[in-house]
Amino acid sequence: MPELAVKNLKKQFGDNTVLHDNTFTIEDGEFFTLLGPSGCGKSTTLNCIAGLERPTGGSITVDGTTFVDQEKGVFLQPEERNLGMVFQSYALWPHMTIAKNLALPLNIRKVDKAQQKTLIHDALDKVGLADLSGRYPHQLSGGQQQRVALARALVYSPTMLLLDEPLSNLDAKLREQARAWLKRLQTDLGITTVYVTHDQDEALALSDRIAVMSGGHMMQVADPHSIYERPATPEVAAFVGRCNFFQGKVEQSSGNVHTVRLEANGEAVHVDADLDVAPGQGVTVAIRPERLEVVPAGSEVAGTNRLDTEVLTSSYVGSHYEYDVRLGHQVVQVESQRPGLSGRVQLVFEPAGALLYAEKVELSAEERDLLTVS
Amino acid sequence: MATLTETPPPASHDQPPEFRTPRYRRPLGIGRDQLTMYGVLAVLAILVLAPVVPTLIQSVIDRPLYEDGGVLTLEGYRALFTDSGFGEVIWNTLLFAALTTVLSIVIAVPMAVVVVRTRLPGGRLVALAMQWPFFISSLILGFGWILMYGPAGFISVQFEQAFGGVPWNLYSIPGMAVTEAVALAPIAYVFCANALRQSDASLESAAQVCGAGPVRILFQVIVPMLRPPVVYSSILIFSMSVETLSVPLLYGQPVGISVFSTFLYKNGLQSVDPDYTVLGAASVVILLVTISLVALQAKLLKDAARFVSVRGKATRPRKLELGWVKYVSVGFIAFYVVFGALIPILGLVFRSFTLIFTPLRNPFDFLTMKNYETVFQFESYRQSIVNSLIVAGVGSVLVSSLAVMAVMVARRSTFRFGRAVEYLALIPQSVPGIIIGIGFFWAFAFAPFGSGTLLQGTLGALIIAFGLRALPSAFGSVAPSIMQIGQELDNAARVSGADWLMTFFRVLRVLVTPAFAGALVLTFVIMLKEYSPAVFLSSADSNILGTTMLELWAQGRTGSVAALASIQIIITAVFVALAGLLMKGKHHA
Ligand SMILES: Nc1ncnc2c1ncn2[C@@H]1O[C@H](COP(=O)(O)OP(=O)(O)O)[C@@H](O)[C@H]1O
Ligand SMILES: [Mg+2]
Repeated sequence: MPELAVKNLKKQFGDNTVLHDNTFTIEDGEFFTLLGPSGCGKSTTLNCIAGLERPTGGSITVDGTTFVDQEKGVFLQPEERNLGMVFQSYALWPHMTIAKNLALPLNIRKVDKAQQKTLIHDALDKVGLADLSGRYPHQLSGGQQQRVALARALVYSPTMLLLDEPLSNLDAKLREQARAWLKRLQTDLGITTVYVTHDQDEALALSDRIAVMSGGHMMQVADPHSIYERPATPEVAAFVGRCNFFQGKVEQSSGNVHTVRLEANGEAVHVDADLDVAPGQGVTVAIRPERLEVVPAGSEVAGTNRLDTEVLTSSYVGSHYEYDVRLGHQVVQVESQRPGLSGRVQLVFEPAGALLYAEKVELSAEERDLLTVS
Repeated sequence: MATLTETPPPASHDQPPEFRTPRYRRPLGIGRDQLTMYGVLAVLAILVLAPVVPTLIQSVIDRPLYEDGGVLTLEGYRALFTDSGFGEVIWNTLLFAALTTVLSIVIAVPMAVVVVRTRLPGGRLVALAMQWPFFISSLILGFGWILMYGPAGFISVQFEQAFGGVPWNLYSIPGMAVTEAVALAPIAYVFCANALRQSDASLESAAQVCGAGPVRILFQVIVPMLRPPVVYSSILIFSMSVETLSVPLLYGQPVGISVFSTFLYKNGLQSVDPDYTVLGAASVVILLVTISLVALQAKLLKDAARFVSVRGKATRPRKLELGWVKYVSVGFIAFYVVFGALIPILGLVFRSFTLIFTPLRNPFDFLTMKNYETVFQFESYRQSIVNSLIVAGVGSVLVSSLAVMAVMVARRSTFRFGRAVEYLALIPQSVPGIIIGIGFFWAFAFAPFGSGTLLQGTLGALIIAFGLRALPSAFGSVAPSIMQIGQELDNAARVSGADWLMTFFRVLRVLVTPAFAGALVLTFVIMLKEYSPAVFLSSADSNILGTTMLELWAQGRTGSVAALASIQIIITAVFVALAGLLMKGKHHA
């Protein structure tokens, strides 16, 4: 069964190292996503798997077949890997009809004409476009082109499916529908899938496992739940979902509960986290906006940690309200169902609702400007 | 199996059909992809080295290459620099090239500024008119100029009658430079105009807000912006005038002024007993000069590209109001186009329809088709028209195909020597046409087993030599169009099982066709105008328009020359028009 093993994958363009010795495996039938900001090396990783790029170091094996092994000097050309790939631009061949687009990989595999016809029909049927086989790509909408590209990648039953930001050219509404549809299709087919995206919602919704990448490193490889609930680093926490970060110093620890005095307002909070820290050590407390509750000052709501703050702005986004509140000089983002809060409020959160990291979070200059008030 | 899935696909994982994963045979570890790529590399290497290597060898061997018992010697270089008069040739060449360059820039820069940056009536027309050298070879321009402004020229004689004398002398280095500058100014114009179109208008707006007047903006903001294109096109024009043959041959030969190209022409063709060693040495020295110029040019272009890419989004250039300066400019441009190109060329065409061409007698009294009759009566003249068509027709197909393959290998493959392929395709730009002629002449003499004699003096030889000359232009025209085709189209084909070669033939070939057609038109026109390698390679059977015209000109048969020149212009115009129509029709279909 196709199981993909990537060992110490390294890629350099000249002096620029784009992938730093990444190692991971993908199970048979798994939906595996490479998630990260633009330029972090997702496409390069995918292209190394496809054979479109030759890595500078490391090896990739699928189900016992070595695709590439730089040490042994093995490199299988992309056409010999039997993979299916969908590109961001869809890459439909513009001068061929949809049927011809799908027929080309079958011709190459010397499938006879009669069987080709059924296969093409079936593949287009799977994506719901069987009646459009005579059209040219430019006669289709973006969503239809994307589905044809998928049909073309599936029609010859490849061992694995590689998708490079296939939904990013669709508009927001369509993207969500396409996402659900894609998930169903993949589950039905059970084909091992490697998916590249910079959209965290997409990654969380689709994947069995996610690899979060940054600057050519794999920060964390885990299932969506762990990625969101227990991000390995502040960077992952910031990239997957939103997160408030507070610098502070540990005052004391009892078991997993640590008392941290925040720099922002000088108050102490309790954080429940499995982290080895010593009193006096500088740490970062991270709290997602939806884990903070915002209540009018003086109201009686149970909660271990309470912080006095003041509302800066409030905005209504349909399903909930978003408040920017001030804690010392820092802006804190909160999600709440409570309408119309203003003036002095309190933030309430449970020790287990916060995350604790030993590393300091370096904000970019732009973020710092946006997140501080005088 | 697949046939079962005609009912709506069940949510179970029914066994998908298994297909044979594409396998491509690689005897000795080299597949057909690699073989093709090495093939392209080899063809280019042979083409480029064939004329150069024998030249290098000839320059240090004491007798013609095809004679046995050659001895290594540096005598050629010694003789070249002591008693061959080569020193004066160098001086003449430098003077001619420098003057040409300065004049071209003086013509082109104001024109570019006025056309691109002011509200000039008919600015588009000027831009269009500046493409005339594409249709007309400098040989024909030279004929036209002599007919009009030469010592016995139509205008010279009229001028003399009116003012009692002519203040110019065409048969001099300044005369040569003026003509050459008229022909090369459009190159500088295109570079400057493009730079001006791309440049950031906000700079000027800022200057305007600060209260600078239009003339001040012109000199303080726009002119400095022109430095990169002016430097680059200067070097380009300099190197082109170092190698040009036509004008120096027509003007310099009668009065004994020699430059690089005419030195080779005279010593190689007109001397009774040519000293091949000296000829080889001279070729090598000239090659060194042109190659260093092109290398400098390439380096500057690289820097210039960096310079351009720093700028952000191009904004629409603001047009300046220049008031009266505008009318001076229009007059200047009109003067250039009318006196530089229009009058000489129309004069030449008119000459082809008359027996006598002098203001002393009314030429309309002598209107005739006789010149054309002569041309079509004599087998050898007629043959040279057909030969030109064959060379340009077959050659353009071959060289455009080679250019497409070279671009595919250089830019669309992971071939280890892709860079080398690109350089090889561009190097011929720096080899003067006449040296390509001499070089292939020696190469054919030198080729093993007498295989060269099969080509020597045939149209095949001309197709190879002209093709090599046209290759850099073909490559340059194909490369940007191919780069516009998304790389993901190739990638999709590769992943779905096509190797590089099949990707090209099944997917990219159709998409590359417009680029190929564009290169075809370009190289056809270039090869139709080309003649300088042919002066060494043509035999009596393989004369082409250019060599025949030169021969007839030397015999003083101006009428026939005019007729052949007109025929060449008409063929070019008709071909370009037809190609334009065809491509347009295809586009709309
Ligand atoms: N052919 C190339 N040459 C040089 N650098 C490249 C090339 N392809 C990608 N890179 C660099 O590698 C990095 C990762 O690129 P990529 O994998 O495309 O990022 P992502 O897909 O995550 O946005 C980027 O910084 C990019 O500039
Ligand atoms: Mg990418």
